[in-house]
Parts: sequence; structure tokens; C-alpha cells
Amino acid sequence: MTASTAVSAVSALQAALAAENAAIFGYGVAGAHLTGSSLAAAEQDWTTHQEARDALTVVIRRLGAAPVAAQAFYQLPFPVHDATSATALAAYLEDGVTSAYLGLVAVSDQRLRRFGALAMQGAAQRAAFWSGSTQAFPGLSVP
Amino acid sequence: MLPLLLATTGCRSSSLFAGPDPLAGRPPLRHDVLTLQAVIAAEENLISLYEAAINDDSGTAPQDARSRTLTPLLAQHEQHLAQLRARLIEPPGQPASPSASAAGSSASPRPVRVTTARLRAAERASAAGLVQRLATVEPALAQLFASIAASDATHVTVLAEKALG
Repeated sequence: MTASTAVSAVSALQAALAAENAAIFGYGVAGAHLTGSSLAAAEQDWTTHQEARDALTVVIRRLGAAPVAAQAFYQLPFPVHDATSATALAAYLEDGVTSAYLGLVAVSDQRLRRFGALAMQGAAQRAAFWSGSTQAFPGLSVP
Repeated sequence: MLPLLLATTGCRSSSLFAGPDPLAGRPPLRHDVLTLQAVIAAEENLISLYEAAINDDSGTAPQDARSRTLTPLLAQHEQHLAQLRARLIEPPGQPASPSASAAGSSASPRPVRVTTARLRAAERASAAGLVQRLATVEPALAQLFASIAASDATHVTVLAEKALG
């Protein structure tokens, strides 16, 4: 891996880590408004994002960079005050994670491309669960 | 004067002038073009499967229930196909890319029932195949493949949730 591609890979990994950190925060907010099976699903997804954060942290450190730190607070995209808005927030967070991993698919390292693509699939499936619908191009802006 | 100069310097015209050699014949198809053609053919096959499943009235679930579930997924596959075709720029004079209709011409004339399980398997195989191809294509195409694979993965989940026969 050359220096320029390494930088590109690290920046894509950092973007994915930032999205995972935001998702962890957001699921904490969403979970406070959910009950029953929805709460259980949110807790499971929250755990998934924590595991992904830990995995990305290890990879970034191996590449010689310092993982981007989580913020103490994240601006929510809209007010979250009930189960409906909490569910919409979960879908929004997963869309953001899907988009972040899309950047990883563009790096030259083939293993990272595959890692990013598989992470996109998980996030897209969770987004579909929360939104109740599938997308033709998860994470990608298509004209 | 120019031919003399070329002769004295020992240069061939092809090494002095950039661009394809007009005497070299048809250039080989780039790897990305071949990959796109294969992915387009696979997408066309997937669309054919959905069309067969939607039109099949021998299933256990009512046909309108099948159609209600499968039609939105089919529409997304048609969007995939449109985007893939938009990226395909074939040099003039090349033979047409392989397609589902061409492949279907040698298939058995008896229609095979397309179950939800078969669609699910096809979606899973499509997602895996696209991820497999990521390594060798240019970044923008890799991102399109990854996004389509993610869409296919969500279809697998939808099909697993629906018992449509």
C-alpha cells in the first residue's frame, strides 16, 4: 500500500468510525422512546454498532493513525419525542452508516472494499427494518 | 520532410503519435466492460425470475399478495439495470452484450415455478457475486456494485419475512 492510498483508506475508515459513533449516540436516544420488540431490536443494533466501532478502531490503529473520538453530543436531525420519531431516527442513522461505508468501497485495498461492502449490507438491512421499506441504491446518490 | 525525419531517427509512427493504431484492428474490451456485461446479464436474469414469480398463479399465496410484495422489488431491480446499462460504453462494432433473453432462448420451454425461496437464493447469490467483483473494478463502479449488493441483501430479508410459496 502506498502512502497516498493509505491516507485515503484511513480517511474512509475514520468517516465510517464517525458514523458508528453517531449511531451509538443516536440509538441511545431512540431507545429511550421504544418499548417491547422495538426496544430489543434497538439494543441489538446498538451493540452491533459498538462492535463495529471497536473493529474500526483496531484497523485504524494498525494503519498508524489515531481513531477519531466520539463527540459528547450529536445534533439530532429532527426532534425525537415518541416511538415514531425514534424509529425514524434509527432508519436515518443506518442510512448515514451505509453512506459512510460506501467511501470504504472506493479505496484501493481489496480487503477494505469487501469489509465496507458487507458493512453496507448490514446497515441497509437495519435501515429497511426501521423504515419498513427497501431502497434501490442504499448509501449511493443516484440521479 | 517528415518521413525522412522519421526514418533518420528510427521512430515508428505509432510511437510518435498518441492514440490507437488504426492498423491494429478492434481494441480488446476493457475489463470493466466485460465485468459490467456479466453483471447486466445477471441482473436481467434476476428480473426474469421476478417476472415469472409475479405472473405465476400456481402458488399457495394469493397472486395479489405475491404481486404486492414482489413488484416493488422488481422495480428496484429495473433501476439497478438502468444504472448498470448507463455505465456501459461499448466500442462501436462490438457484439451485443450477453443478455437474459439470449440465454433464455436455449432454456426449456416449460415454465419453471419460481418460489420465494428461489428468489431469495438468487438475491443472495447476486449480492455475493457483486461483492466478489468489487476488487477488480474502478472505484465508482465498485460503489455502484456495493450499493446494489446492499439492496439485494435487503430483498433477501423481505423475502424471508414473507411466506408467498
